Amino acid sequence: MSFIEFKNIEKQYPGADKKSVTDFNLEINEGEFIAFVGPSGCGKSTTLRMIAGFEDITGGELYIDGKKVNDVLPRDRGIAMVFQNYALYPHMTVEKNISYGLKNMKVPADEIKRKTDWAINILGLEEYRNRKPKNLSGGQRQRVALGRAIVKNQKVFLMDEPLSNLDAKLRVSMRNEISKLHRELGSTTIYVTHDQVEAMTMADRIVIMRNGVIQQVGKPMELYEHPANKFVAGFIGSPQMNFYDIILKGNIITFADGNTMKLPDSVIFKLPAQQGEMILGIRGEDIKLDQQNLDVFSENKHSAVIENAEVMGNENNLYFTFGGSQTIARVSKYEISGIGDKIDFVFNPAKLHFFDKNTEVRYV
Amino acid sequence: MRKNSIPRIILTVILFVMSLFFLFPVIWMLANSFKTDAAITADMNSLRAFVPPALNGSFFENYVTVIKDTDFIRYMLNTLFYAAILIVAGVIVNGLAGYALAKIKFPFRERWALIIMMLMIVPSETIITINFLFVAKMGLLNTIFGYILPMIVNPFNIFLFRQVFVSLPDDVWEAAQLDYCSPVKYFFTMVLPMSKTVVATVSVFTFLGVWNDYLWPSLVFTSSDLLTAQIGLNSITSNDNTTMGQTLAVITMITIPVIIIYALFSKQIVEGVVSTGSKEG
Repeated sequence: MSFIEFKNIEKQYPGADKKSVTDFNLEINEGEFIAFVGPSGCGKSTTLRMIAGFEDITGGELYIDGKKVNDVLPRDRGIAMVFQNYALYPHMTVEKNISYGLKNMKVPADEIKRKTDWAINILGLEEYRNRKPKNLSGGQRQRVALGRAIVKNQKVFLMDEPLSNLDAKLRVSMRNEISKLHRELGSTTIYVTHDQVEAMTMADRIVIMRNGVIQQVGKPMELYEHPANKFVAGFIGSPQMNFYDIILKGNIITFADGNTMKLPDSVIFKLPAQQGEMILGIRGEDIKLDQQNLDVFSENKHSAVIENAEVMGNENNLYFTFGGSQTIARVSKYEISGIGDKIDFVFNPAKLHFFDKNTEVRYV
Repeated sequence: MRKNSIPRIILTVILFVMSLFFLFPVIWMLANSFKTDAAITADMNSLRAFVPPALNGSFFENYVTVIKDTDFIRYMLNTLFYAAILIVAGVIVNGLAGYALAKIKFPFRERWALIIMMLMIVPSETIITINFLFVAKMGLLNTIFGYILPMIVNPFNIFLFRQVFVSLPDDVWEAAQLDYCSPVKYFFTMVLPMSKTVVATVSVFTFLGVWNDYLWPSLVFTSSDLLTAQIGLNSITSNDNTTMGQTLAVITMITIPVIIIYALFSKQIVEGVVSTGSKEG
């Protein structure tokens, strides 16, 4: 049986003409690390706050560990939460911040000391234990917030964009620390983020949301390789997937700019009865510039002029216009092209994604 | 810094001269509170009026006389006691009201806040008759409770608290809930400590209000055991046997706590008032 279960969960704020979360159904297993991801206003934080009990659930049922918790107080749900702005108690030291909940739980003093020391030690906060939050850096504050969450030994951890206030470098190291902590504690974790990289790198499964509706639930690579629709395909992956309006007739694709491409039978085979207007998607790394691929797919070779080049160090992003759309090719650092250079490229046909023109649902 | 040093010196001199201008009556009062009436009269038309007499055996005579022959110390202690009670009660009651108006959602919250703010413009003198009748009907005249009760709720203090509490982050309350903190405990262990500045401001204003109040205690109290410092001051200075020097000694004694409070808490008073006008406060 699932550890957390959402049954048709809905949220509509008083006076709002539409629902913030609609028909949310999900089962989360014990010990799983789940990421809710999506753009601002997609309902991910609202859903997390409904789990915490800070927002009323206006429809559906929520179960934690087999118990319906719709009307249970936040503190009685067996959850701990890490907030976006840390929400530390500013007048208390690190040690008091971490031990405050235990004291209110009437845990014996020696047990409080033992648990607080453990949390302080595991998070590397020993030298800061008597400091107040204002005398800590962003990363240290985030660790205190984590300490406050882990020390109570709750069943579920909720994290609401916990790394969004940190700089890029610190975000990477904290990402690693949170993952490590999750492995050590084995707690069920729900992590909200708008950063798909965080979701991809940390989560066992990702829930992608848009306008309060789940778009897809799956393992990171499932979402990357088999997005359910154009939104998921565009949201997951950086740089984002390239999209083209195309017309498929027989096994020939015609792009908006008149370029054509012949599809192999293996791809056509997966598109039964799908003809006419549709959307083609391809990830930047599946646009090939190397000679070997140009030779293999020579009949579909196209040319373009580089309009911009982003040198990332380990790879390059090349920008050019093709098929009536801005295209980004992600190539190795050895395939250097400058602005204004003409390049030849091919699309790896095995990596093409086809989406319905109207519903944007993926055919294949 | 060097570039600004000359304007800075000029500014300092101007401020010093201005402060002397404002301090002039205080210095005069202090200097003459140590003198006999004859000495005060003799020095009246010279700069010696601002200089205390030489330190000798009778230097503190006016003060000793006031302390020995009157109950003024008792009145001061009474006032300190009332102020202490009103500070505690005022912070709790007005603080809770301010918190409710700032953070708890209930129907017509903003209108309630507006009504309370409008009460700030009603002079206390206009409701003093109602308060008196109210206290009299309850049989609380000449009691500490009767004196304190109508003074606890203060619209201005509610407004001050509300303005500061509005800016407190909601997620701290949410975190506290997950830390098994009750709303009441949260108010006392989180909200008030996080709002020390406004608590200090309200406490200082309450103290000054009680210390300087004359009308209300003069209506409620008739027993000399319960009188406050201002009433004591009036009764002592209006006594024909009180000398000018003793009058100035009493006025000095009643002024000193106010000056000490301002000196100690001027930063909090300014910060508190400034913060109420700023959301970031």
